[in-house]
Amino acid sequence: MDGSRTISLKDEGMTKKKMIKAILVAGLFFLASGGWLLHLRIHPIVKDADNVIPLISGIISVFCLPLLFWFESTITPAYMINGFLAIIGTIIMTQFSIVNFKGPATLGNIILNSTLADISILWGKFALGKALFDLHLLKSDKDMAAKGRFFRYPNMGWWWVHLLALAAVYSLGNILWK
Amino acid sequence: MRWILLFKPGWWVIHIIAIAFILWLGHVVRF
Repeated sequence: MDGSRTISLKDEGMTKKKMIKAILVAGLFFLASGGWLLHLRIHPIVKDADNVIPLISGIISVFCLPLLFWFESTITPAYMINGFLAIIGTIIMTQFSIVNFKGPATLGNIILNSTLADISILWGKFALGKALFDLHLLKSDKDMAAKGRFFRYPNMGWWWVHLLALAAVYSLGNILWK
Repeated sequence: MRWILLFKPGWWVIHIIAIAFILWLGHVVRF
């Protein structure tokens, strides 16, 4: 116990960083579990091949990503996988909503009778992953201000470009490749 | 410039594989 008094400021900073990291990893795990369990409830694993995609991405999100985010050496692949799972999930669930949309396209219907809620969960998970990645890069407050290239990796613009690009390529596969 | 990254073979390899995968994903998913 007495030893704790000799902890330097630097060590204390590391401990706080680690605590924030633990909270974010826990948040990622719970959010992914919630999304995955909701998905299992809507689409029990049957012979439908489409249900395999959320099953696999759910297993990756719940069991693999928290571990990959936890270890310093695997944070970059974790950030990439987490981001692309959010993008692919957004595209496929948007398609699902458009194909299965019922009733008039009123604002209320679009908000409540679509997969917008599920897509929101995914982007919450994306945000947690980005916070973990940024926390990993953060050495001082100056580092954050120094970043100016919005459309370059690992900044948000890079993700927006990839969201649009993946949506375009996915649509081509869906429409042209029958 | 960092745009030189575009000319590295690894960039092309990963993007060709990724585009093929996403095209295939669009092909198989039918609601």
